[in-house]
Amino acid sequence: MTKIVKWIFLIVALVFYMLPVYYSIASSFKSLQEVYNYPPTVFPSSPTLQGYREAIKNQDLLTYLKNTLFVSLVATIITVLICVMAGYGLAKGTFLGKLALNRLVVMTLFISAQVIMVPLFVIIKRLGLINNLWGLILPAVYTPTGMFTAIQYMKDIPDEMLESAKIDGANEWQIFWKIVMPLSQPLVAALAIFSFTWRWNDFVLPLLVVNKRSLYTLQLALAVIQGEYGGVPWNTILAFSTLTIIPTLIIFLLFQRFFMRGIMAGGLKY
Amino acid sequence: MIDLKNLVKSRFIFVLPALIFLGIFILIPIISIFAMSFYSWDLLRPPKFIGWNNFKLMIGDKWFWNSIWVSIKLLILTVPMTFFVPLALALALYKETGSSKILRALFYWPYMMPAVAGTTMWKWLLSYDLGLLNYFLKSLGLSPVGWLLKPTPALFSIALLRTWAMTGLLMMMFITGLQNISEEYHEAAKIDGANKWQIFWYVTFPLLKNTNLLVLTTAIAHVFRDFAGIYVLTGGGPGYSTMVTPLYIYNSAFTQFRIGYAYAMSVVFLLISFVIAVMTLRVRETK
Repeated sequence: MTKIVKWIFLIVALVFYMLPVYYSIASSFKSLQEVYNYPPTVFPSSPTLQGYREAIKNQDLLTYLKNTLFVSLVATIITVLICVMAGYGLAKGTFLGKLALNRLVVMTLFISAQVIMVPLFVIIKRLGLINNLWGLILPAVYTPTGMFTAIQYMKDIPDEMLESAKIDGANEWQIFWKIVMPLSQPLVAALAIFSFTWRWNDFVLPLLVVNKRSLYTLQLALAVIQGEYGGVPWNTILAFSTLTIIPTLIIFLLFQRFFMRGIMAGGLKY
Repeated sequence: MIDLKNLVKSRFIFVLPALIFLGIFILIPIISIFAMSFYSWDLLRPPKFIGWNNFKLMIGDKWFWNSIWVSIKLLILTVPMTFFVPLALALALYKETGSSKILRALFYWPYMMPAVAGTTMWKWLLSYDLGLLNYFLKSLGLSPVGWLLKPTPALFSIALLRTWAMTGLLMMMFITGLQNISEEYHEAAKIDGANKWQIFWYVTFPLLKNTNLLVLTTAIAHVFRDFAGIYVLTGGGPGYSTMVTPLYIYNSAFTQFRIGYAYAMSVVFLLISFVIAVMTLRVRETK
């Protein structure tokens, strides 16, 4: 009895959670006539790539894809590097103010982009990075969550390992590259996956920094074309949004374990 | 003189790159929020010191208070849903089986999706004349609802979308909490003759206390911070009915060019975020 109730609940929930996704993907394969047909069809009656072609050709999807990939990849590389380095320094360093800096990192966990949106724009403008893809990269490479995860990870590396390397005559850089880095592979992977996803999904920063069409990212373009005068047809908009969610699905399916572990660690062990 | 050797030896040098980015893109903005909130500025002419005037203006600005009231209404609508739906899902899925792993992933996916894309998909579903939802209503003989065209349904739509987007994360928090509860408690209660419902209310739920608080504070923080979702779904409208504070700050700064005023509102918004942060920290530290 409870089993049946449980499964009915799960199925109802699943319909609710997957309906927008399914119906949007289905509609993205409809022709222009069918998408405005009434009553709506649950399956596309004669699937077509019209919306996709339109998105690529008239909406410059490939340009936005190129911009987004550039920003996501470069930002991820820098993020991973500075997080791993700083995590190591803040966990294993011996300098004055280490404790205060560790606390500062925890504080930054609670600063959301929305709170500092306006001054961030002013600083990016001062640096001459408005309408520049670096303006989307540099302000984003310090990620509080990434820093925090890195510090926690580095704390678990045994001091003896670093000490014995030192006794063997390794200098600080050698210790970092030959011992800390190889030991940090799981951390690097997790940081890379999270950072890439955040940058791919980001909207606030592109909205502030970019107003030239040729520099739009996918998410910004998707938001902008919806408000455009004359109206972009729904099958094109939905083809657009379908294409932007595919990478998140692939990343998620490939690296599910990291996300689950990330939530476990991030959610409950701060 | 900066002693480079010592910087390397103390490993401070490894922290330096992150510190530079932290300073430029987080600390300076936060300091400037406080400093510039006393200025009048339109980005074109140099800022002019006006003392507390921005704050006085804010106190008399009914749209600013409205934006906070909108967030409170959204919290009232969203928080119960983002508590009980994830809890129910977690109870159904916390045991490690093949099907539960697949279902967890499916419920988690909306949280991973770009907010703009997820919102666009909902917008399609909620659209007045073409949307599937209104089609269902009409085929049931009910009249269609202007989901995004009228104030109350628009608020409700945002709450629904928020629940949809956040469930995966909060469900995973509950699952972790449930998995941390030792089976012995349940066994003991069973031996004492408790039924499933009693076990849940008198044993499981109290043991989840910390998880419950964590889920609540996380949900509150997310509702307060939502920007992309509301920007795309309603743009703050109709009228000002869904104009939350971040959106109002954005509009003041970038469509009206009242930069100083936007800074002053950011101060208040930062203080609100800070209160939520302290609450969250407290919750985490009670463990």
